[in-house]
Amino acid sequence: MAREKKEKAVKVPWFDRIFPPKKMTVGDHSVQKPRSRAWLITLVMVAIVWGSISMIHFDFTVFARNIHQFTVILAKIFNPKWTYFQKVIPPLMDTIKMSLMGTAIGSFAALPFAVVSSTNIMHSGPVVAFFRIVLNIVRTLPTLVIASISALIFGLGTFAGTVAITIFTFGVVTKMLYESIETIDMGAFEAMEAMGATKFQAFWNAVFPQVLPTYLSHSLFSFEINIRAATILGYVGAGGLGILIDERIGWRDYEGLGTVLLALFVVVLIIENTSQYLRRKLS
Amino acid sequence: MIEFVHVGKTYPNGVQGLKDVNLTIEQGEFVAIIGLSGAGKSTLIRTINRMIDVTSGQVLVDSVDVMSLRGRQLRRFRRHIGMIFQSFNLVTRSTVIKNVLTSMVPDMSFFRVLFGIFTRKQEIAALAALDKVGILDKAYTRCDQLSGGQQQRVALARTLNQNPTIILADEPVAALDPVTANQVMSDFKRINKEMNISILINIHHVDLALDFADRVVGIRAGEIVYDGPVAEVTQDVLDIIYNGAPVPKAADELSAKEAAEIAAAKAQKEIEANSAQKEAQV
Amino acid sequence: MQNLVNPIEAMYESRPKRWWFYTMVLLIVVVLLGWSAGAINFKGLAARGSDVAYGILYSIVHPDVNLLLDLSQNGIIYMLLETVAIAVLGTLVGGVLAVPFSFLASENIVPKWVAFFFRAIILLIRTIPSLVWALVWIRVTGPGAFCGVLTQSVCSIGMISKMYVNAIEDLDTRILESLDASGCTTFQKIRYGILPQLYANFVSTLIYRFDINIKDATTLGIVGAGGIGAALVQCINSRRWSMVGSFLFGMIVLMLIIELFSTKVRNKLARG
Repeated sequence: MAREKKEKAVKVPWFDRIFPPKKMTVGDHSVQKPRSRAWLITLVMVAIVWGSISMIHFDFTVFARNIHQFTVILAKIFNPKWTYFQKVIPPLMDTIKMSLMGTAIGSFAALPFAVVSSTNIMHSGPVVAFFRIVLNIVRTLPTLVIASISALIFGLGTFAGTVAITIFTFGVVTKMLYESIETIDMGAFEAMEAMGATKFQAFWNAVFPQVLPTYLSHSLFSFEINIRAATILGYVGAGGLGILIDERIGWRDYEGLGTVLLALFVVVLIIENTSQYLRRKLS
Repeated sequence: MIEFVHVGKTYPNGVQGLKDVNLTIEQGEFVAIIGLSGAGKSTLIRTINRMIDVTSGQVLVDSVDVMSLRGRQLRRFRRHIGMIFQSFNLVTRSTVIKNVLTSMVPDMSFFRVLFGIFTRKQEIAALAALDKVGILDKAYTRCDQLSGGQQQRVALARTLNQNPTIILADEPVAALDPVTANQVMSDFKRINKEMNISILINIHHVDLALDFADRVVGIRAGEIVYDGPVAEVTQDVLDIIYNGAPVPKAADELSAKEAAEIAAAKAQKEIEANSAQKEAQV
Repeated sequence: MQNLVNPIEAMYESRPKRWWFYTMVLLIVVVLLGWSAGAINFKGLAARGSDVAYGILYSIVHPDVNLLLDLSQNGIIYMLLETVAIAVLGTLVGGVLAVPFSFLASENIVPKWVAFFFRAIILLIRTIPSLVWALVWIRVTGPGAFCGVLTQSVCSIGMISKMYVNAIEDLDTRILESLDASGCTTFQKIRYGILPQLYANFVSTLIYRFDINIKDATTLGIVGAGGIGAALVQCINSRRWSMVGSFLFGMIVLMLIIELFSTKVRNKLARG
């Protein structure tokens, strides 16, 4: 006779341990009603907001005085200088090139990393945990910070920007990819192992075809994000439109800024629509 | 030839999957393994190609101890054993032919595997396998556009493409409707007879087992409680396997008291049968 | 009639030949990548570039503990908290303002042309990078955390509205039918039919945006909008690598903690 499996103990939430649920009885049946957590959540939220407000020095007088500046600036931005358009093209091309390269390399590197971070392919818990921790650390740093440090290490120019975009894409795509890998059906993988395939062969033929559409979709999505991010990188000297933006704002040339932003807007629109079309075809 | 010698499987949490299993299956037999869910049918089958390790005893396939195989040897060994699953285990987004071709992958070089380059010979062989199970016309359609029965046949073609000597099937027809289940079972029968491949099937549907198999092995709670030809399977046997009736001991193992009890019970049954007959005649 | 052709061979000959398509795609990809590679001119490491790299890496792993534990206004902890404060307020204000925007941009609530107009506005807001917004707002409020809050509010409206619109358009209206059948007023239908569906999604979106805003707040600091970014860029400019490393260490720890919390809460919201 097989021994019975041990019953899994049900975890009691800590809140219910401090404020035990109320017993509601109807006739001779009863049920436990957990107490509402709403008051605690509200209290915590109010405390956080109050703390935040007290930390920041809100100078509303300055704000009120200068708010018309904002509308003036905005009006100028929406009145772009068409003659300036020529100057925008080369840095714009640079921005697109940086994004393409960075996205390609980052996505490519993400594939093996995501495989070793998936619990259903790597059966060793510590290994997966190690790689995920490394991944999380890489993801915490903002792209601009990575870019400014790259600019110091590799010198000003587009190379530094590409490095920053590669690292960012790597972080984003790896996480999305291993989350996808963990949700797929491992049946075909098991079947291939049963017929004598190595783990790589089984992965490549049974798992990868299932994640390929999502993988491409995520890469395209990061490309969209990267185009926008790439424009900023120029601010720290890492190439692209950012340098122009910094320049124009420095010279208070808001019409010129408008031109730059318009060019960016058009490019982003085209790329977003193409990307959405491709992503829909993939799924 | 497959031999189980005092095979036992105990899981890390203490549950015993198999207990002292002794079994010999010759090449070319068609064996149905029946029993309740959780009785140990899946475990038994999976010890043969070492998808599950045994904790005691030996599983010998053609005199090779399965537990002694490692890495490359194990993979080469598995090439000759085909496995069919209840949920088909196909890559549903790929085409039928691609799925059948995956059975060739373990023999291919790294770069061929990476770029998915199969030779004309391999593709023709895969098509021939599909023809054998009767779905050649669907060769270039995507698997998720096929019915359950058709998908199971693709899985069967995939396995045949390996040229196995043994086919293990874990509940192959559980997800299929009765008509399709019949078709798939007759495919198994045909393969067994024409190609002399040993077939072991885990199956819930006792009627299908009795219709198609040559030999029945009954498992209850990890132990074999019946092992014999299909013709000798009676309702009593099924009671033993499914309803927990006690397993009858062989005649020389009975004590005097037990022998007397059994004789008395048998006599009682005969008297009741006779009186029922007489009443019916009146 | 003699069928001489082997059916298997016939099938093989009639197989779909997709390799033209694959080759073309490969060609396009190679051309694109080749063109973009022109953007990368690796001039080798900058002067003393390797010193920089080593210095920063070293101090990330050996952070300046005094700096870390400094609780004054110049200390890392204060600056990290200021960054968090900017993100909290920015997300909150942005989230609140996004609600009317998103309803006005949903096609199942307002007429199509109204929705189109507001979607265009949202797209405009989203296209202008947050850095640009920050630089513009600095002209109004001067540098500092206030500017950061304003920038984050505006940027948050962009992304949060987009996600809200998705949630609103996925609304299951069937429950409204059953509430209607039991005699509810419009207000009651909204309160009990629509809000429960949207609530969990809204809060989850806010938390997701908060996570992003924390990272964004450090970025904005670089242009002077307060928080740890400002101090960081000063250290970078004055080449004090040890301080840079310590700052980075603090930032990494903060973001890991916030990400841990936000994932936990969002999972709880999604699965209950």
